[in-house]
Amino acid sequence: MEQKLRSEVKALLEQGKVDWIIGFEPGSLKFTTTPLITKDKNDAERLVINPFIVNNLANFLTEIMGRVGIVAKGCDSRSIVSLIQDNKVAREDVVILGVPCTGVIDLSKVEKLVGKDRDELNDIAREGDKVTIKVEGKKKGFPSTQVLFNHCLACELPTPKEYDILLGEPSPPIANLAAQERIEKLRQVAPGQRWAFWEKELSRCIRCYACRNVCPACFCQRCFVEETEPQWVLPAPRWQDNLIFQIVRNIHVAGRCTDCGECERACPVNIPLRSLTREMYDIVGELFQFKAGMDKDALPLMTHYEEKEAEDFFR
Amino acid sequence: MSGATNISPSRFLAQDNVYLPHIAVIERIIEETPGIRTFHFNFKDKKLGEEFTFKSGQFGEYSVFGIGEAPFCISSSPTRRDHLEFTAQRVGRVTNALHRLGVGAKIGFRGPYGNSFPLGYLQGKNLVFVGGGIGLAPLRSLIWNVIDNRDKYKNIALVYGARSPADLCFKYDLDAWGKNKTIKSVTTVDRGDASWTGKVGVVPKILEEVAPSAKNAVAIVCGPPIMIRFTFPVLTKLEFTPEQMLTTLEKRMKCGIGKCGRCNIGNIYVCRDGPVFTYAQIKSFVSSEY
Amino acid sequence: MTNSKKVNKKDVGKLLSQWSQEFAIFVPSIGSGVATMARWEGKDTSFLDWYRNTVIPPKANFLPPMEEMFSFRKDREGYNIELPPNGGKQLIFGIRPCDARALTTIDANFKDLYQDPYYLPKRSRAVLVGVGCTNPYDSCFCTSLGISPADSNDVDLMLTDIGDEFLVEEVTDKGKKLTAKTSGLKEATKDDETRAKEIKEISYNKVTRKINAEGIVDKLLAGFDDQDYWEKVAAKCISCGICTLLCPTCYCFDINDELVRQQGTRFRSLDSCAFPVYTKMPMENPRASKWKRVRQKVCHKFGFFPMNFNVIACTGCGRCIRLCPVNWDITQILNSLPVRV
Repeated sequence: MEQKLRSEVKALLEQGKVDWIIGFEPGSLKFTTTPLITKDKNDAERLVINPFIVNNLANFLTEIMGRVGIVAKGCDSRSIVSLIQDNKVAREDVVILGVPCTGVIDLSKVEKLVGKDRDELNDIAREGDKVTIKVEGKKKGFPSTQVLFNHCLACELPTPKEYDILLGEPSPPIANLAAQERIEKLRQVAPGQRWAFWEKELSRCIRCYACRNVCPACFCQRCFVEETEPQWVLPAPRWQDNLIFQIVRNIHVAGRCTDCGECERACPVNIPLRSLTREMYDIVGELFQFKAGMDKDALPLMTHYEEKEAEDFFR
Repeated sequence: MSGATNISPSRFLAQDNVYLPHIAVIERIIEETPGIRTFHFNFKDKKLGEEFTFKSGQFGEYSVFGIGEAPFCISSSPTRRDHLEFTAQRVGRVTNALHRLGVGAKIGFRGPYGNSFPLGYLQGKNLVFVGGGIGLAPLRSLIWNVIDNRDKYKNIALVYGARSPADLCFKYDLDAWGKNKTIKSVTTVDRGDASWTGKVGVVPKILEEVAPSAKNAVAIVCGPPIMIRFTFPVLTKLEFTPEQMLTTLEKRMKCGIGKCGRCNIGNIYVCRDGPVFTYAQIKSFVSSEY
Repeated sequence: MTNSKKVNKKDVGKLLSQWSQEFAIFVPSIGSGVATMARWEGKDTSFLDWYRNTVIPPKANFLPPMEEMFSFRKDREGYNIELPPNGGKQLIFGIRPCDARALTTIDANFKDLYQDPYYLPKRSRAVLVGVGCTNPYDSCFCTSLGISPADSNDVDLMLTDIGDEFLVEEVTDKGKKLTAKTSGLKEATKDDETRAKEIKEISYNKVTRKINAEGIVDKLLAGFDDQDYWEKVAAKCISCGICTLLCPTCYCFDINDELVRQQGTRFRSLDSCAFPVYTKMPMENPRASKWKRVRQKVCHKFGFFPMNFNVIACTGCGRCIRLCPVNWDITQILNSLPVRV
């Protein structure tokens, strides 16, 4: 897939079909990748596809001017479609280089399994539904489902439906129910205890806004937390204000969140944000039978009304 | 860092804590324009009021308790101390709250902070004041200061302008200066109205018409950044050197004492090393972000 | 006879118990869900096994994420302003040399011109018990900034792991005063000191990430206005606050008020130059562009701060590299500064 990607990218830039390329290149730490945003066709050789391509590159589409060739896993392609639905990006301005995704490896799961930190591992190799981790010279095998991100296990569209070039054979959803265990458990918890749970989790939020800034659906020029007239939330990380920030952010992205899981992945203090975002995603699916980013011709959920919609919430 | 003036910390700390404001009482409110008000105030503590000193160009941090704090220059002159003044335009949270206050309301004051106009450097020179809009506020402190010590300075000229006659600030000062035979005062507007009989034209253009001589002169320029950017080239054309041009820079501020990091331009802090700078200093900043 | 003491690792709990009579003890902890310095609950010293460094730096003990400056209550005369009660004495156990040096570095800002009445008293009341790193991360680069994983310059007591025991060096008078009234410390032998020296050197050499900090101020500022360069550097940054909020040498803060009926507080909270609104004024925002904000962060830490205080505002702790959601790496930037004539 990598070779195909590199030659396609080179061709796109040489033929002037795109102004920019957004893809992944090896990161500066072991088992990481980092976004590569470039106009230079010689940079095509730096592009990689591996089990660590974790970022949702659609996030950069709202700030890059011009036509963009963008590497997109299934989840990323849904975010691109969602942006097209929102009129933030024109379909003809993107060349989607679709990556049929078999899941991205969650390094924090690996670290917990092996009991060592990422930089202490010798190698992580994935082969289908098995992953082999080499640490201190010894190899340990695990089923892939134990090391993939929860949002990958629950992913509904691993292979992009909307693309210009598909870089490999389509891959099926993993559909592993273990992914939803944590969220299911939280649903069983009584409201009072759930409140205490979120008080504990959100007390460590430092209001870095990484969750908001990695999210392709959060593209407002001025976020509500930055308003001072009126001041909706305190600018400081008091847990009650952190909670309001999360609640309102979830409402604002409802119908556009594709459960790409980036918010939870980016959080530096391990707040289980997907327990909120996936919950909202499921509520949206239940109430409106709508899943973001599946159909580029569909109207955005929250900005249009159909007569046949339920009215049982009117009192 | 700023020529003849030194950076010395404010001596007037409440409870020995540099962030604690003193309580001040608003005694008079003047509506300069629909969005700009001048507030006359005095400290609740009369003894502090008597001891308090400041220099033209310095600013204070004014609190509306519960809403926030914002920096404004002290727009009254140190030579007229029966009260203190500051002028604020209604643009955000704190200024909106300020504009809702009435006479008798209590606010907080911390200061004086920053450096000041270098009086020693200005003495014996011809002074050319160039102001735009609310930028007259820091200038008027200095202008009254200079008028009250008139024989220490040579010629005084003022070119002041605003977008329209309704946007002119300190009309009572402009009146008084217009009547003062020892200073030459020119007021202009970008566009006039039915009753405006004065000059029409942007400040830099009118300054070019007035064409003050650069010989033994210092220009002090305060106004919106765009006015300043067009005024400096005019002064250069009139042969003012960068050392002969003074201005006050403005940046978003919070602590006002060089700690919170916000108002920096390169390695200097506008609250600590400014707000008064010469154009020569500005050109020597490592950062071009002024 | 040596000047150092030592303590068995199993007895660290006993030390902490004694010290807890006088100090609020902070130790590395993951109980809250993320590695941070938290109040020692009185028994558990298992952090000695897993601890490499925290995610939340110990600067949070001196410059908290949210800190009350004063409270005020409206009364007939005006406002009654009250300062919060004086905090107690903290003992930070397990602070790493990079984080301790970071505190010394930002002291300069809080002492400059005015004495900060919140940060400095906390610093002078606190005791820092450093523990040298034996297992630096691959993101650590302290050795390039004049610090080593075993540096004792900025702590009161310095502990070095020599196997089953810690060598205990008394660095400051405060440290000596503490050990004088602590039981359970043994005298260290010459062999212990030699072993410690070996360990320190091994740790030093384990730090593989390097930058060339020589002449960095001039090298950086020579390219200050190169927009093309900075746009490339800033391309993948997402303008969140992780690098700055978790950096032990970042100190920028915001001041805000809160009012509930007639009572309120003014508090300060950590802020970040990476946020667009950081420099926003009503009429203009000098750093509305992302490349200007990224440029500010790099140039402030490795240019402007050293210009004012003669020390680089970075101690190579590597948190920014480890935790950045897009793996933006400052060492890559600093190691590839274009050569400008």
